[in-house]
Amino acid sequence: MPVDQHSDPFVPLDPFEEQLSAGLRQAGGVFETDRAALVTAGALKGRRRLLRRRAAVVGGAASLALVGLGGALLLPGGGSAHQDGAEVGSSTPSATSTPAPAPVSGDDLIRTLEKLLPHGKFSKAEARGTDEPPAPYVHLVYDDGKGAAAVGVSLARVEPGSDEARQATECPGKAFAHYDACSTTRLPDASVVMVLQGYEYPDRRVDTKWWSAELVTPTGQHVSVSEWNAAAEKDSPVTRAEPPLSADRLRKLAAASAWRDAIDSMPEDTAEPTAQPTGSDTAVAVPIAPMLRSLLPKRKFTVSEDSGDDSGFGYLVVDDGMGKSLVQVNVQGDMSDVAGDLFGSGAKTLPDGTKVAVHQEPSEKGGAGAVMWTVDTLRSDGRRVVISELNSGAPHDDATRRTPALSIEELRAIALSPKWWQ
Amino acid sequence: MRQRRADEYAEFAAARAGHLYRSACLLTAGDTHLAEDLVQETLGRLYVSWGRVSRVGNPAGYAQTVLARTFLAHQRKRSSTERATDVLPDLPDERAGQDMPLRLTLLEALGRLPAKDRAVVVLRYWEDRSIEETARAMNASSAAVRTRCVRVLGRLRELLGEDLSDYARS
Repeated sequence: MPVDQHSDPFVPLDPFEEQLSAGLRQAGGVFETDRAALVTAGALKGRRRLLRRRAAVVGGAASLALVGLGGALLLPGGGSAHQDGAEVGSSTPSATSTPAPAPVSGDDLIRTLEKLLPHGKFSKAEARGTDEPPAPYVHLVYDDGKGAAAVGVSLARVEPGSDEARQATECPGKAFAHYDACSTTRLPDASVVMVLQGYEYPDRRVDTKWWSAELVTPTGQHVSVSEWNAAAEKDSPVTRAEPPLSADRLRKLAAASAWRDAIDSMPEDTAEPTAQPTGSDTAVAVPIAPMLRSLLPKRKFTVSEDSGDDSGFGYLVVDDGMGKSLVQVNVQGDMSDVAGDLFGSGAKTLPDGTKVAVHQEPSEKGGAGAVMWTVDTLRSDGRRVVISELNSGAPHDDATRRTPALSIEELRAIALSPKWWQ
Repeated sequence: MRQRRADEYAEFAAARAGHLYRSACLLTAGDTHLAEDLVQETLGRLYVSWGRVSRVGNPAGYAQTVLARTFLAHQRKRSSTERATDVLPDLPDERAGQDMPLRLTLLEALGRLPAKDRAVVVLRYWEDRSIEETARAMNASSAAVRTRCVRVLGRLRELLGEDLSDYARS
């Protein structure tokens, strides 16, 4: 039932609206789930978020303490070089010319993970290096011969001794009861590691197991390793009874020194996702469809459908005589906060800093033979234009032609047109 | 989180999770996996700011606002390639008003609305929010919400027909 009875007294509902309300209550009321599991997962997410936020704050405020003449020592939290004995990385106060560690690339992280895993096959590796915001990670599919499994490692800093550092490695309490096992171990070097053997889906409608190890060192390096008994976190069938690494192996993987070296090479502003302003696509007012029409290549097109004067998102169905193509455009302001999500290693960066990614793939929702071509562009100030087209006139239709009407080059020219921003 | 606060949060989350989930199912037009993710994300956000949230007058309403914004933020990150449902053709006429239960037809119709329209429908007609409150939840002006509301009602009338009582009540 609705939480708040805040109906506007000056706007009485008409019969259709009354029926709509009743219909929504009927439609919404049938959805049920395992609430306790949802609460558990939500709280775990909250804990991780708290940790990330703390890492971001610490990262953003980290100070550089000069060590001797040449070396720089990065401190979490901005204290003195000796605060809590928290020297980070291999630098020591006596090292007068220790250079700042070189960044560790995504490829290096992939190689590190492959080396640390037992013999097996690797695929679908992806990673972000330590100098790529918002934070480094490596993710791949590992098969030891008994079934493909997703394995991921992410790296961050936390403030040593903080509540967040403690909470990261504390097994969830009785309010968070949905897991098979959880243990916390103190390693000889005083690092603390928690291994949690739980489930990806709180209601366990699919038995995807999610096991993770969270390790925090005395100096605040935070290594988080996850593995699943499926080739992907979600929407992927279970391939084996359990994830490939035992709790003990998971613990050892998290404790590998290579991860700590990588964390030490993270520049001070790497982990700052929350400091980014959140954007709003409402700031962009240009009507999409008319602009798109004006930017079509100088060939003959018939336009059979048009989204009108909406800004933000619009589309045209065009036909150059060879069959219909649905062309859709999104124009958004201030999307720099999600650049990392949208533009992977395949993206190109133009001299002015604009990122361009091209995708040519079968249409996810399309009918027989349908393909979708997309050019996604993000200017250095965060403004984004995405244009995509199908070789059919509607998302679920079969292909009406072999390829869409506009070439990738033409899509690119449209997306990069300065007119979107005039 | 201190113990008392943690207990309060756990109690609140347990009490509200079901409703949040049902709202999320409507926002996602029946995509229960996404709905679950959105509720987890919402509860995660509330967890982080619980100290402040618990002091506001209406944490339940606040939670619903966070859910709506989380949903809109999620949709915003998706590219046009995933907004294809915005331009689906109308429901075939022969299905309207026949044996199709209203709830299924309604979910299907919601699935054909752009994200912001869906958020307006859910906040206005499921949450019973006023235009002003809907506008605040969506970070929009009330004029914009009013216009959107008129348009979306028109669209739903087109999709569902004028009289929803024609549908089977199962």
